[in-house]
Amino acid sequence: MKIAPPSSHSTSATNTSSNTTKGAPSAPGLHDTLRSSLSSTNDTITPSGTPQLTSSHPLESRLAQWQATQDTLKMNMLRRNFGIAEPVRRGMEAKICKEGEWRPACLGGSAGVSGEVLAGRDTEISWEDVYRGDESREATDFHTEMEGKVGMERW
Amino acid sequence: MPGFDFSNYNRNATLHAQGVPLPKATSTGTTIVGCIFNGGVVIAADTRATSGPIVADKNCEKLHYIAPQIWCAGAGTAADTEFTTAIISSNLELHALSTGRKPRVVTCMTMLKQHLFRYQGHIGAYLVVAGVDPTGVGLYTVHAHGSTDKLPYVTMGSGSLAAMAVFETQWKQKMTKEEAVKLASDAIQAGIFNDLGSGSNVDVCVITEEKATLMRNYITPNQREVKQRDYKFKRGTTAVLNEKIITREEISKYVTVHELSSDDDVVVVEKMDIDA
Repeated sequence: MKIAPPSSHSTSATNTSSNTTKGAPSAPGLHDTLRSSLSSTNDTITPSGTPQLTSSHPLESRLAQWQATQDTLKMNMLRRNFGIAEPVRRGMEAKICKEGEWRPACLGGSAGVSGEVLAGRDTEISWEDVYRGDESREATDFHTEMEGKVGMERW
Repeated sequence: MPGFDFSNYNRNATLHAQGVPLPKATSTGTTIVGCIFNGGVVIAADTRATSGPIVADKNCEKLHYIAPQIWCAGAGTAADTEFTTAIISSNLELHALSTGRKPRVVTCMTMLKQHLFRYQGHIGAYLVVAGVDPTGVGLYTVHAHGSTDKLPYVTMGSGSLAAMAVFETQWKQKMTKEEAVKLASDAIQAGIFNDLGSGSNVDVCVITEEKATLMRNYITPNQREVKQRDYKFKRGTTAVLNEKIITREEISKYVTVHELSSDDDVVVVEKMDIDA
C-alpha cells in the first residue's frame, strides 16, 4: 500500500540510441518535430497501460503513475474494510460507466462526468484539465475512430 | 500527455551539461507574515519581485484571493504562487458549491499541501494561508514540499528572519485589530529594510468574521524622490542634418488620411514618462 508512486525514472538518457523511431538519424533519442508530429512520443501508451515517458525527469514518472497509485490504495483500503466485493463492485460500475459514456471525438469527446462522480473527482479541476495535451494533435475523423473502437483493423 | 510538459527536459539537461546556463525564474525574494488577533487574522507582504540581482517589479501583488474570507500570501517562484493559489481557489469554490457550505481554511490548507506534495517541491510555492470560517480563525504556512505549520504568528520568505525577530519581541496574546495590523506591517518593514530580496511597499489584508479588507500599499516607505537636477535637453541641442517634408497629398496615395481637429480629445496618445 503506497501513497506515492515509487521513483521509476531512468537516471540516464542518451540521445544517440533509442527504441522509438521518432528521432532524427543524428540524435535518435530525441523527438524530432520536423520528422514526426509536434506532439511527441508521449501519446503512445505502452502495453502495461502507463503512458510512455518523454524524459528522465523524476517528476514525470511520478505524475504519470500518481492517479493509478491513489486508486490502487483506495481499492486496497476498501478491500480490507469491506471485503473484495466492494472494490469489485466499484470496478464494475466504473467500467459500465466508461462504456456508456463514449462520445465521438469530432463532437468534443466525452467529458467523463459520470466516471468522475464515481471516483469522487467531479468537483476537482487540475492542470490536466487546462492543458489537455491535444492542442497540436490533428483530430481523428469519426470513421477512423469508430473503426478503432470496434476493432475493425484486426479483421 | 496532458498536464506539465517534460519533453524538453533531456535536451535542456544535455545543453546544461555542455555549459549553457539554465534560465532563471522570477522569484519573489520576499517577506510575508501572518498574525492572529482577537476576532480575526491579518496577513501582510512586501511588494518587490526579483530576478536574480535585478528588481523585476517594484510593486507586485503577493496577497492572493482564494475565497471571500480566505487569503493567501505567497513567496518563492512568482508564477507558481500565482497559479497554485488560482487553481486551489477554483477547486475550493467547486468544493463549496458541491457541499453547500462556506469553505474552511483547513480544507484549503489540505488541498494546497496535497497538491504541492504531489509535485515534490518542483512547484516552488511557499505560502501563508489565513482566513476566518465557521470553525474560527485559521493561520497556516505551507512549504513547497507539502509540509505545513499552524501557529499564532508566522513569517516566510527570505525576510522571514527579520520579520520573525519583530514578532518574537513584540507579539502578545489577544491583540486588537489595530495592534495586529501595526505589528504585521512593522514586521514587513523590518524585512523591507534588512533583507535585500524584499522592498518597496507594505500590502496588508485583514480578515474578520464579517469581511476581508485588502489594503494595497498600506505603507509606502520607499517613495521615489524628485531628482535634484533636470536632464531635459533644450530644443535644438541636436543639430538637424537634413529635413524632408511629406505633404498630405503625397501620403494619401498610400494610406487614408483623416483630419482631426486640435481640440478633439478622441485620440489618446500614450504619454511617455521622462525622468524629470
